[in-house]
Amino acid sequence: MLKLDKGRLGDFLQTLCRGRAVYALEQDGDQYHLVRAEAWDPERHVLGAYRPVEPLKSLVFPPRERVGAPAALAEAEGAAESIVVGAKNCDVSALRIHDFVLRETAPADPYYALAREKTLIVSCDCTDAREVCFCPAVGEQPYVKEGSDINLAATPEGILVEALSRRGADLLRRAAPGLPPADEALAAARDAQRARVGELVRERAASRGLKRDADLRKAVRGTEEHGLWDEFAEDCVECGACNLACCTCHCFLLADGRDADGRPARLRQWDSCLYLNFARVAGGANPRRRRAARLYNRFDKKFNFFPEVLGRYACDGCGRCAEACTGRIDIRDVLKRALDAA
Amino acid sequence: MQPDPYAPMPAAIVDVFAETPNIKTFRLRPEAPVPFRAGQFVELSVPGLGEAPFTPSSAPSVADTMEITIMRVGLVTERLHALKPGAVVGVRGPLGKPYPLEAMRGREVLVVGGGVGLAPLRALLFALFEDVTAYRKIILRYGARTPSDLVYRGALDDLWGMADAVDAMLTVDRRDDGWTGHEGVVTTILEPGRLTCDARNGVAVVCGPPIMMKFTTVKLLDLGYAPDRIYLSMEKNMSCGIGKCGHCRLGAYYACQDGPVFTFDKVQGLSRIWD
Ligand SMILES: Cc1cc2nc3c(=O)[nH]c(=O)nc-3n(C[C@H](O)[C@H](O)[C@H](O)COP(=O)(O)OP(=O)(O)OC[C@H]3O[C@@H](n4cnc5c(N)ncnc54)[C@H](O)[C@@H]3O)c2cc1C
Ligand code: SF4
Ligand code: SF4
Ligand code: FES
Repeated sequence: MLKLDKGRLGDFLQTLCRGRAVYALEQDGDQYHLVRAEAWDPERHVLGAYRPVEPLKSLVFPPRERVGAPAALAEAEGAAESIVVGAKNCDVSALRIHDFVLRETAPADPYYALAREKTLIVSCDCTDAREVCFCPAVGEQPYVKEGSDINLAATPEGILVEALSRRGADLLRRAAPGLPPADEALAAARDAQRARVGELVRERAASRGLKRDADLRKAVRGTEEHGLWDEFAEDCVECGACNLACCTCHCFLLADGRDADGRPARLRQWDSCLYLNFARVAGGANPRRRRAARLYNRFDKKFNFFPEVLGRYACDGCGRCAEACTGRIDIRDVLKRALDAA
Repeated sequence: MQPDPYAPMPAAIVDVFAETPNIKTFRLRPEAPVPFRAGQFVELSVPGLGEAPFTPSSAPSVADTMEITIMRVGLVTERLHALKPGAVVGVRGPLGKPYPLEAMRGREVLVVGGGVGLAPLRALLFALFEDVTAYRKIILRYGARTPSDLVYRGALDDLWGMADAVDAMLTVDRRDDGWTGHEGVVTTILEPGRLTCDARNGVAVVCGPPIMMKFTTVKLLDLGYAPDRIYLSMEKNMSCGIGKCGHCRLGAYYACQDGPVFTFDKVQGLSRIWD
């Protein structure tokens, strides 16, 4: 654990990012956007108090990507190394889902595996939370324990810098050789801040009926036949925004078409399980013809399927779906109703 | 370069056989052999148009070519039906799990097919024929809507030369002028008098349209087959075929990886499995 003075943050990040494509946060009112840049720009880029609008997954699992052809794979292999600064725990933790599905489940998706290898993640502790944040309810916390390469905790006492992976440690040694070890005051300031923000977001979640140890799996599994899914589905307009905004959703479609030169081209593009035809088979049979069944399916996948196959929820509490939903369906309300009904 | 599981292998169509007015069998020669086992499937693509899952229907022991029997129902299958020998399509696979022949050895195997569902079952029959004495008995019960909807019609009399080794019976939902065989849905040839089987020790393998699978499963349970000895082909919407895209989820399983064949006990607790 190292100490970085606030005044040196800009220099530090410029050096850290040198030679890589940079993804950083830009402030926009009370929101942040994840933007691409050539270099770290202290005038424009910030560490951010909480996660940005765009999910981190989009950097390593883009909304649309050419796959299935030697030229496409060569392009992925030749892509620039990149670094993302300011990732928050919900987003970093969500990559466990993508790692499991795309990289660890054989056969591996080489496009994802390459992007993961080429992307360094510099995470930082949340210093505030959005109104919709509920990470404690899914067993997470507003700071990264593992999954990024370097973590920064910006406190009033300075910035605590910690390597969380071997390549993070290597980069720190090379890019910032002179950083002194963190002193006790800095460590204490970080712990106090983590406790404060943790408490803040815990209270927010609890005020919506989502307690830290709530059994969401039991709640969802026990309510498949309950009318609550019909009630919420009444407001769903099948826009798919929840899936696209989500930090964990991984479903996609292989879409065949032609490129600008008329050659066959295959895209791997994000898909949405709320779309009517997601599970439709030829001839018209559809196990989830009803919207309520599709809404239930989304929660079943997140809170029942993934606990079964991976031992964790496919939800990290970022609240993006609640903010994105055209029908103003709030995941916290859905989970609360399921908890009450189960 | 790493392997790309989304990349199809070019395969030339070397022959096309019309089976019924809307079903054709295509013989393909992939650039390199695609060795598959009975029950496994492939993703077959028309370049630039789309891809769809199909189970090869030919003998798994023949590796350099494979036959796929395809019903024309929509976008991709429509275009496939228009292709002539010489056209090049794409193949990814083999995908999914094969029929567990080991679990069938020493037992009686009842094979029940409906319509184009006989396609994957033909690959299974060919695999069983290769070691025919290893199974106590092979029974085939096959039905289609009308006589002209029966696939492999020319081979159904002598069962590819293995008629002596199989207790076979066919049926059609509606007879036409030339048909002298049984009339009625496929479950009617699973009735006592038309079927003598060892339900207690045997296995049953079913493939066909969802409604046919549903009623056949009910019938097989009635006859006394154990849920874990009834093998069902679950047709789910598929895209990637390799457990990644999420389309084919069936409870805690992905049909493309854990299936497409499931024993009934694995899926009976799930809702809407026949839809
Ligand atoms: C494991 C398995 C084995 C099978 N084996 C056989 C077999 O041996 N023989 C046989 O005849 N059939 C078989 N089938 C069924 C066969 O896969 C379907 O008939 C085929 O997918 C129909 O494709 P289509 O494009 O012609 O039909 P469509 O009705 O046009 O499409 C079928 C489905 O694919 C999806 N889809 C297609 N194109 C798109 C698109 N552009 N965008 C989004 N979604 C799209 C849709 O969700 C649609 O519901 C099998 C199915 C499975 C799952
Ligand atoms: S959900 Fe938690 S980790 Fe994510 S931004 Fe909000 S407080 Fe931070
Ligand atoms: S964002 Fe809301 S309206 Fe859109 S598909 Fe999801 S639940 Fe339905
Ligand atoms: S078809 Fe993609 S997960 Fe099964």
